[in-house]
Amino acid sequence: MSYYVTKINENGNIAVDDTLLVKGAPAAAGSKILKGFEPLFSAEAVVRLENAGYTVLGKTKVGEFGLDLVGEFGVDANDTLKGAAAEAVANDEVAGALCVDLNGAPRRAAAISGVNFIKPTYGTVSRYGVIAAACSGEQVGVCAKTVKSTAALLSVIAGHDAKDGTSLENESYDYDTDLDVKGSKVLVIKELFDAADDTAKAKVDAFAEALKANGVVVETASFETVFEAQAAWQILMSAETCNNLSRYDGVKFGYRTPNYNNIDELYVNTRTEGMNLLTKATVLYGSDVLSKGRYTDCYDKSLKVRRVVYDKVKELFGSFDAILTPALSSTGYNAYSINDAFLKVYGESLFTAIPNLIGIPALVSGGVQLMGNHFDEGMLFSLALTAERSGK
Amino acid sequence: MTSEKLKGLLDLNELALTDDEQTVMQNIFKAMEQNEKVLEKVDTTDTKVMVHVMPMTNVLREDVRNQPFTRDELLKGAPECSDDSWQVPRLVK
Repeated sequence: MSYYVTKINENGNIAVDDTLLVKGAPAAAGSKILKGFEPLFSAEAVVRLENAGYTVLGKTKVGEFGLDLVGEFGVDANDTLKGAAAEAVANDEVAGALCVDLNGAPRRAAAISGVNFIKPTYGTVSRYGVIAAACSGEQVGVCAKTVKSTAALLSVIAGHDAKDGTSLENESYDYDTDLDVKGSKVLVIKELFDAADDTAKAKVDAFAEALKANGVVVETASFETVFEAQAAWQILMSAETCNNLSRYDGVKFGYRTPNYNNIDELYVNTRTEGMNLLTKATVLYGSDVLSKGRYTDCYDKSLKVRRVVYDKVKELFGSFDAILTPALSSTGYNAYSINDAFLKVYGESLFTAIPNLIGIPALVSGGVQLMGNHFDEGMLFSLALTAERSGK
Repeated sequence: MTSEKLKGLLDLNELALTDDEQTVMQNIFKAMEQNEKVLEKVDTTDTKVMVHVMPMTNVLREDVRNQPFTRDELLKGAPECSDDSWQVPRLVK
């Protein structure tokens, strides 16, 4: 099975997921509703890679608007779901891939395929040219086979972009992968460790042992805020997705239903035929939490909880240099019904929600997840490189 | 979530669901009502909302007339067009 929805250059060395625009190549964000859409410009992150000498090999498949577990690229012989970009990297088709992380899908995919993925600090990589769903938490990240190549690619795409209002004003970022980690402190969140199965726990244990062998202090403690972050991010993500996807109506671009007699039927039939049930559920839940009677207790409350989570995590980083957790509840997923998708993804977002909610960086490496303080990607890379050198 | 409220949300979002899908959706709303309870325990009495974690800037351009794309380029992605315009069903009967 091909990893790509579109091949662009047979000699390319970079993959770009289908939620990022590449000029002249179809871009559908994995959705029928954008069928036939060809952008007139490329995403800033893609332009920066091309300016640095990289060539886009193709657009990799994604789940609709990046809302699902791993991209639902396919089921392998062992009945396990994989992410297309992560698999393309794992099988040396490309040197790296750009993926948009709005709810952890690329992180889960990287963990399953045994490659690295960094979701950087919010605002460090331009979102210009991203097919937006959840603007306040989604970031362009990098998938690559080694820690060093992940850091190198991130340093190419990171930096201020005047076209993007969410882009921070730092001109460039220097990601050090060789910080001295001896004596640094890493926290394992008990709630996330306990929520994983034995295979995922074993990966965290092995990673922690590799760090300890190199002088890192690893402690386990409770941090119940993870549950609050999970609920708050689901509410905010759904609300923002509801708003962003309202533009897809079959009028100016993308899919248009052939089944209509008037403008109302055109809207309803286009959107109903163009979106899968997971997307529809996200839109409807998002619309509900924004509605009168629910806004104050759900949407507004979640914006306040975001600040509470932010403060608690910042306090935690006063004592620890990084957080170590499973990236997902297991080491793989079997195929599942679209009817179960919403709650299944919600369950898995327990492991991934905090970085999306408060914009901190998260690195998946060796099948586990490291979270760091804002702009502290260097520490995450250095810890991961320490474990990588130990063979974990 | 009543059937009536779900119908209202569907109308608002220009969507339709089959009866089976509506049952799935009802179950999702039911489960999420339980999941949301964790937020009730968080004291946010004096907490201000945090819409964005990082500072944002307003993206402006010079107030100069320009045309980054041609009409043909913009219409290239149109599901249906006639001559130099997007084509939509008649709005006024």
